[in-house]
Amino acid sequence: MRYLVRRLEFFVVTLWAALTLNFILPRLLPGGPEVALLTRFHGRIQPATIKSLEVALGIRNDQNAIQQYLSYMGNMLRGDFGVSLGFYPQRVSHVIMLALPWTLGLVGTATLIAFLLGTLIGILGAWRRGGILDSVLPPIFVVTSAFPYFWIGLICILVFAITLGWFPQAFGNSSEVTSELSWTFISDVLWHSILPAFTIVLTSIGGWILTMRNNMITTLAEDYIKMARAKGLSPTRIMFQYAARNAILPNLVGFAMSLGFVISGALLVEIVFNYPGLGTFLLQAVKNEDFSLMQTLFLLITVAVLLAVMVADFLTAWLDPRTRERG
Amino acid sequence: MGLDVRLVADQSAIQAEAARPEAGGLHIVGRALLGNRKALAGVIILGIFLVLAIIPGMLAPYDPHAQIFAQTLGPSREHLLGTTGNGQDIFSQLIWGTRESLAIAIIAGLLATGISLLIGVSSAYLGGLSDHVLSLVTDVFLVIPTLPLMIVLAAYARNGGLAVLISVIVVTGWSYGARQLRSQALSLRNREFLDAARVRGERSGYVIVFEILPTMTSLIVANFLGVALYAVLAAAGLQFIGLGNPSDMSWGTMLFWAQNNGALNAGSPLWAIVPGLCIGLLGAAFALLNYAFDEITNPALRPVRRRR
Amino acid sequence: MGRRRYAIIGMLAALAVLVGACGNPSATTSTPSTGGTLTIDNESGTLWSCGFNPFNGNVNFLAFGPIYEPLVYVNLLNGKPTPMLASAYKWSSDSKTLTFTVRSGVKWSDGQPFTAKDVVYTFNLIKTNNALDLQSVWSVLSDVKQEGSDQVVMTFQSAAVPYFYYIAGQQPIVPEHIWSKITDPVSDNNPKPIGTGPFTMGDCTPQNIPYVRNASYWQSGKPYLDKVNYPAFLDNDPANAYLASGQAQWGGQFIPNIDQYYVAKDKANHHYWFPPIQNVNLFMNLTMAPFNKKEVRQAIAFGIDRPKVSRIGEYGYQPPGSQTGIVIPTFNDWYDSSQAAKYNYKFDPAKAQSLLQGAGFTKGSDGIFKDASGKKLSFTVLSIAGYTDWTASLQVVQDNLKQIGIEIKEQDLSHDDYFNKLFNGQFQLAYGSLSTSPGPNPYYELRNTLYSKTSAAIGETASGDYQRWTDATTDKLIEDFGSTTDSAEQHRIMKQIQGIMLEQVPVIPVTESVAWYQYSTKGFAGWPTKDDPYAAPAPWNIPDWEQTLLRVHKS
Repeated sequence: MRYLVRRLEFFVVTLWAALTLNFILPRLLPGGPEVALLTRFHGRIQPATIKSLEVALGIRNDQNAIQQYLSYMGNMLRGDFGVSLGFYPQRVSHVIMLALPWTLGLVGTATLIAFLLGTLIGILGAWRRGGILDSVLPPIFVVTSAFPYFWIGLICILVFAITLGWFPQAFGNSSEVTSELSWTFISDVLWHSILPAFTIVLTSIGGWILTMRNNMITTLAEDYIKMARAKGLSPTRIMFQYAARNAILPNLVGFAMSLGFVISGALLVEIVFNYPGLGTFLLQAVKNEDFSLMQTLFLLITVAVLLAVMVADFLTAWLDPRTRERG
Repeated sequence: MGLDVRLVADQSAIQAEAARPEAGGLHIVGRALLGNRKALAGVIILGIFLVLAIIPGMLAPYDPHAQIFAQTLGPSREHLLGTTGNGQDIFSQLIWGTRESLAIAIIAGLLATGISLLIGVSSAYLGGLSDHVLSLVTDVFLVIPTLPLMIVLAAYARNGGLAVLISVIVVTGWSYGARQLRSQALSLRNREFLDAARVRGERSGYVIVFEILPTMTSLIVANFLGVALYAVLAAAGLQFIGLGNPSDMSWGTMLFWAQNNGALNAGSPLWAIVPGLCIGLLGAAFALLNYAFDEITNPALRPVRRRR
Repeated sequence: MGRRRYAIIGMLAALAVLVGACGNPSATTSTPSTGGTLTIDNESGTLWSCGFNPFNGNVNFLAFGPIYEPLVYVNLLNGKPTPMLASAYKWSSDSKTLTFTVRSGVKWSDGQPFTAKDVVYTFNLIKTNNALDLQSVWSVLSDVKQEGSDQVVMTFQSAAVPYFYYIAGQQPIVPEHIWSKITDPVSDNNPKPIGTGPFTMGDCTPQNIPYVRNASYWQSGKPYLDKVNYPAFLDNDPANAYLASGQAQWGGQFIPNIDQYYVAKDKANHHYWFPPIQNVNLFMNLTMAPFNKKEVRQAIAFGIDRPKVSRIGEYGYQPPGSQTGIVIPTFNDWYDSSQAAKYNYKFDPAKAQSLLQGAGFTKGSDGIFKDASGKKLSFTVLSIAGYTDWTASLQVVQDNLKQIGIEIKEQDLSHDDYFNKLFNGQFQLAYGSLSTSPGPNPYYELRNTLYSKTSAAIGETASGDYQRWTDATTDKLIEDFGSTTDSAEQHRIMKQIQGIMLEQVPVIPVTESVAWYQYSTKGFAGWPTKDDPYAAPAPWNIPDWEQTLLRVHKS
């Protein structure tokens, strides 16, 4: 119970911190959204219209900072994120819904693949210490993980899209295919996702391999494994049902967290591939000084991470009773 | 890429084993590092970059900013890596760029490690409410997604230059280490030597600095390496998307210019390939050292050598 | 990233830059066949919002032209008009009344007939909703009303002949039966636009806008193309690579090293043409020392190696600017070459230094000039973050000026911050173009650059004349130009304005920005070319791109 309360406290504080950060940051700027607005609509709009735009964008100069803060919090909790300056007159929530499925699809799948593959390699590597999987692959992936995502993406584009012409170099689907639930559309989307997904897997798999391998090695030294061996259980059974099952716990939490980071993690990959996901939108919002969109994206990503951590927490508590005691 | 490093590492390891230095004077950690092939590879790469960063003027043939050559030349004896779309020498840019890239990694690494230490260790040592609050803060920073936060922060502080870049990286990079250091310190808290110090009546600050910290050296170093790797990648990413100062000379800004000039397609692919390679190598140096540190501090992870 | 400015300037330069030319729309011998899908490749820096409100400066470059049409298409280079929704027009003798005859037989794409009422409605709509008046036409108009069944009469407050371009050529006409039902036309998204144009809207997604052939378009047989795709690109490089690979046929952006990047990929079919349209200037704040001294301005004009700026900063694609202020060769007809030769503003460090010495400045031991009080000639020049071509250009300028003993340092600002400072006069030096677009002759740009009535006090927002040039002679010349329809008189006035540019140097044109335009002749023909410049060629030239889309066909 105490554990539950502590975790809830943590979630609430984090959410509050992210919201407050979002409120303060734009107001630290010289000018901020007001300057952006005035400059953009300069000379083309009557003062009355600017007023109404300000209200729509949540800029209230008639209120003091605390009132602004409270009404801002109210808006955020109601899910009212205002109007996007860059996509004016569309609402931020509408704009985000355009990008969300793409990011979830591409980065979600790629992360799942990296996690499953990485964990498997980690298990096998730890099982056969000194084998190829153990001695050669980990260092290689340590090195590949040190390369910037976006640069690997650029090289992939150069080699596989430009030089060899095997895969498309940009977009989530081709403009010739209408977006509907048909095999043509789905295969088109898949075809476009191969190169960016490959980039993400290549650069993120190293982490999974290493942590899983290290956990496995530690677990394999435990007494109950020795006991299982002594009992003459089959190696496969020991490997997966005894060792891996316990060693995977920390990785599982990591995976839940990274699912949250999915939205943000491969941001630069999306940018390089001109992929219509949240990362692309975030960069665009930054460049167009679309503050409302920028803030909401940041908030959304934070909430996603929080949710994932929450799930992971409860999953661990459920799988591993010791956690509940530790508090 | 990975394979090349591996090969180099193997050869150097053999040489290192042949001429192992005497243990005298060398710190245990240092000796362990030299005995580890991965670590040695990391040390060598880092050493080369350090030299480049310290004396770029003696090694680079030209002024990296001077737009005085023909544009997008291929590699030649005059221009080992060709010229940029703006008529600058790529090789000279690469050498001069080492300094800033390395500086960001080291400064951000040190600062973030410092904060991790301060918060992590005080949290563990002080306990009670302070621990609760500090841990909460750490957890909050741990969960807030770093890359978007970095982008948003850098966007607001546009053109702040190097200082902003480093601050952004430090602010987003210290929390993981703080958590690790806290657990380590926590496990030390009730050890006898600390009780002894307390009995002697030493102040908390003294105990933390002179009693606790030395026992945590390897974790601190590992933490520094982790943040340095993170800093290399984060700085490169931010500069690549144009949130650095484009007049600075670093690998990240080189990539920014290369990308803006379509280097891969416009006939000067080396302009984009080489800085990325250097970023990767520097990152790999930190990552290899970090990996080796894991092995050194956790003997179970050490490579198993098969008998021949 | 650097060259996306035309697209993202959006509201600021709602009317895009036009370059038409003295093209001769000679009929081809055989009628081209209908069909084919053309793909446009223009980095917009944004995914599509699928809104097509033609009065929204963010998206009107997607709606005005192929969907919503103007009354008259004005060819910018010579002002040559092509009647569109108006079949004829007439100025009154005092140039204060303009009467349009509205074309009959035109239908909106929902089948309703287009009438003079729609024109009157549109102009009154933008009068009531000031935010929709992107060209500020109501700053000169006093009344728009219908006369008879097909006449629209516009009355002016005073003679404003050049405004014909904005009123007839830059104003999209919308259907009354649709727009009168829209409660808030300012923030309306208009996802399913109903226009008179040659294309209608297909199934728009954030990644692609499909324009579909309007089979009942009033120019029978046209357009030839079945479909036009306009995919969204956030960055230059993916867009360029897409174009170079042949997946798109019509490009509108900067391509570095274009001969290798683009042309070499398909030598027979890949072509480009970059007609200059507007100056990229070095603005000097004339309200502060030492820029209030003519000699200093002249010295700086002599201290910039314009050809080198063009070559290094812009790959030579944007030609060096002329101190006359005339964009050449586009406006050669207006250019006073003999006066330009007399002043001969080429890179001349010796001359620049002697001018500075003559004005009382002395060179310090560090090679930088000082004024009488010992203050160094050291300044900050504003630029826009992400406009890397400007940064590269300014690095050359910096190096040049150092040679004449003036120190400058670049400061990159965000787009909005930059224009805010520019409008308010809060700068020493600033590099860039006007935020308003030029027109079919040099008058449009030079008016906005030099007319003191567009300026404002420091700290107040100026719509033009950012450097605060206040000169009664200049103002008079500009006003005279605007009230005459006599071309010879206009040319005479323009020569005098060039004289002021050369002698007083109120602003320094460094390079000339161009209409970026690449086209592929693989499968398609009918493109505008240097020899047949029937329209401004970039896809972001509105509404010119409609003319291109009406002519291009399968080959």
